Amino acid sequence: MKLFTIGSVVTTLVLFAAAVPVSIAQTQHRGAGHGAMHGKEQMKGHMSGHRSVAGQPGDAAKVDRTIELTMYDNYFEPEEIAVKAGETIRFAIRNKGQFLHEFSLGTAANHAAHQQQMAMMMEHGMITPTGIDHKMMKMDHGGKSMMHDDGSSALVEPGKSAELIWTFAEATELEFACNMPGHYDAGMAGRVRFRHGDDG
Amino acid sequence: MRIAFNLCAGALAALLSQAALAGTYELEITEKSVNFTGSEAKAMAVNDSIPGPLLRFRDGEDITIHVKNSMAVDSSIHWHGLLLPYTQDGVPGISFPGIKPGETFTYRFTAKQSGTYWYHSHSGLQEQQGVYGPLIIEPKGREPFRYDREYVVMLSDWSDEKPETILRNLKADSDYYNNDRPTLGDFFKDVGSKGLGATLKDRREWGEMRMLPSDISDVSGYTFLTNGRTPEQNWTGLFKPGERVRLRFINGAAMTIFDVRIPGLKMTVVQADGNNVQPVPVDEFRIAVAETYDVIVRPTEDRAYTVFAEAMARTGYARATLAPRQGMAETVPDLRPRPRLTMADMAGHAGHEGMDHGGAAMESGESGMAHGGGHGAMSHDGAMKADKKMAHGGGHGGMQHGDGMTMPGMAQGADDPGDYAPGSGLTPRAADGGRVLVYGDLKAMTPYADYRAPDREIELRLTGNMERYTWSINGVKYSDAEPVRLTYGERVRLKFVNETMMTHPMHLHGMWMQLDNGSGRFSPLKHVINVAPGTTIRADVPADAIGEWAFHCHLMYHMASGMFRKVIVEPPRQGS
Repeated sequence: MKLFTIGSVVTTLVLFAAAVPVSIAQTQHRGAGHGAMHGKEQMKGHMSGHRSVAGQPGDAAKVDRTIELTMYDNYFEPEEIAVKAGETIRFAIRNKGQFLHEFSLGTAANHAAHQQQMAMMMEHGMITPTGIDHKMMKMDHGGKSMMHDDGSSALVEPGKSAELIWTFAEATELEFACNMPGHYDAGMAGRVRFRHGDDG
Repeated sequence: MRIAFNLCAGALAALLSQAALAGTYELEITEKSVNFTGSEAKAMAVNDSIPGPLLRFRDGEDITIHVKNSMAVDSSIHWHGLLLPYTQDGVPGISFPGIKPGETFTYRFTAKQSGTYWYHSHSGLQEQQGVYGPLIIEPKGREPFRYDREYVVMLSDWSDEKPETILRNLKADSDYYNNDRPTLGDFFKDVGSKGLGATLKDRREWGEMRMLPSDISDVSGYTFLTNGRTPEQNWTGLFKPGERVRLRFINGAAMTIFDVRIPGLKMTVVQADGNNVQPVPVDEFRIAVAETYDVIVRPTEDRAYTVFAEAMARTGYARATLAPRQGMAETVPDLRPRPRLTMADMAGHAGHEGMDHGGAAMESGESGMAHGGGHGAMSHDGAMKADKKMAHGGGHGGMQHGDGMTMPGMAQGADDPGDYAPGSGLTPRAADGGRVLVYGDLKAMTPYADYRAPDREIELRLTGNMERYTWSINGVKYSDAEPVRLTYGERVRLKFVNETMMTHPMHLHGMWMQLDNGSGRFSPLKHVINVAPGTTIRADVPADAIGEWAFHCHLMYHMASGMFRKVIVEPPRQGS
């Protein structure tokens, strides 16, 4: 049974691709005047760590189950999810709020770095509190487009839905979060709990 | 089923029934002996506590509060920021006659809002003596944010001097508490750097204004308190690393505007004056008298953090600590240098041609602020309205009048002045180069349903005579003024024009002011709007509460000296 229909506009976009973005991040941050916050090492650590720790984009044909998540202003429902190591999950995400929200999988450190990027995107007008400027998003920013997709994040506009398929790696401290400026600190984040075997 | 909630060390119990949400609360105002400074002084307290007990209501709750006055003088309690019938608003002479010694007044109203608020006496100068406390209303539904624990952080200013004495001293000499007057040494230093002519002219201009550039706050000698604790007593809130902690900041001071920061922690502002706002991460915020800001912080390290609230005039600070365990403390930062008012801050001042001069002044540097005309101190005719838009033309950085007149560090900062006149000596800047909250950042979490163009505009010039220490609106003090009349259902735009060099946090009772900060229907609802010197700011009031309401500057000695109006909201006329 199909659990839900995917909206016509599905924006899946990720700011940190595994291979490319170190240089982007540096260029962009210098431009936005936040250079001091991001050492090269920090960015590198984040990049290299992301995919291996959190997992990788999943194959639609191998989905084990679907988890539905609803976005409100500014929180998720549910606020905690449980997965197993190696499990492939289809996340069906619906934004029932009036603001733009993000669903992103990663460690707390991933999210902290990602928040800086989102703040910069807001400053550059690529995103606003309520939506995405698709034109701005595709524009050339410092030699690279902002559209990178490692499949671990989705921006969902108000009233829209999105889908994200993810295969989790080994059990680790992961969170799902919205990294729109202020949203994470205001509590729009939840824990990814790892179950073992048949429990839970 | 009845559930008893124990509030504040058992001083209060609210009885809530599930059928009809209702609660009864008991408050008693008494005289109290305190020692905040090393010597005993007389204070006034609610339930023997300064601040008074935390009142925690629920949205929709039918509230009954018995307030007993056990003092020898009249008293009252006003519920700051609450929407209620005007007879329950607690302003002697407007809402009710006040509470006589030995008598009890019973307030009854239904909570129809949520958020962080406070209460205080509206009689005489009793706020300054300790009659204030925090008030929280829990929302019906889920809040648009989440936290693991919360603390009220109520800031205030204490003086061992009787407030009546302070007011008398101010009336006799408005600079009585200014320990920072320019000296003869400053004069010669300025002569050296600016030349004799410019220095003489500069001194003459300030003299004609009856103002000194160091006159940031009228009163000094305060001990600043956090939840009733001195900086040495160090009020401490505990947390577990990784938790989200909601801090409900309330400025319950009589006269002090604070600059608040927590070195090492980002603060995400989620509420202003009790209303949810779209979250804004900041490093520092300025909280005017009687405002509230709720912030969420997320300390992740196993260490202490200092909550540092500097008085805007840098005459001292309130301090608290967030720590994983009691007894921990972090270094307390040094006070930053005292700000100096600049010519930009007197842009709205009567007789000055103001900021439109600015453009020319820029090029010519120090001599740029040459004003031809006389400055007829505080006369109200033909006053220059320093609209912010106009003021912008003046640009930045050109307002420097040498060390005596500018805030150190201002020279390099040509950044956005935010809520202040460009070139103002008062513009807040984050201590560590981060972001300071400005009014423009405040966007309501939910759009205002009845947002529309105002039906009319009322201009309120904030005026005063510093020499005689009288404060007024449109040049008329409260005792001589007609009430402001509004008609129920109309939407009125208040245009505040600050023609003085002091900052005025203007407070309207009973109705929201929708601050016009460019956010349209997301413009935030506020009960206090802080109007910086030489600036104009607008707010729309939906006149949705019939009755007689107080409207005043919340700096206590300004309110007591006449910057006050009665606002009457009348029913619409029949047949019109």
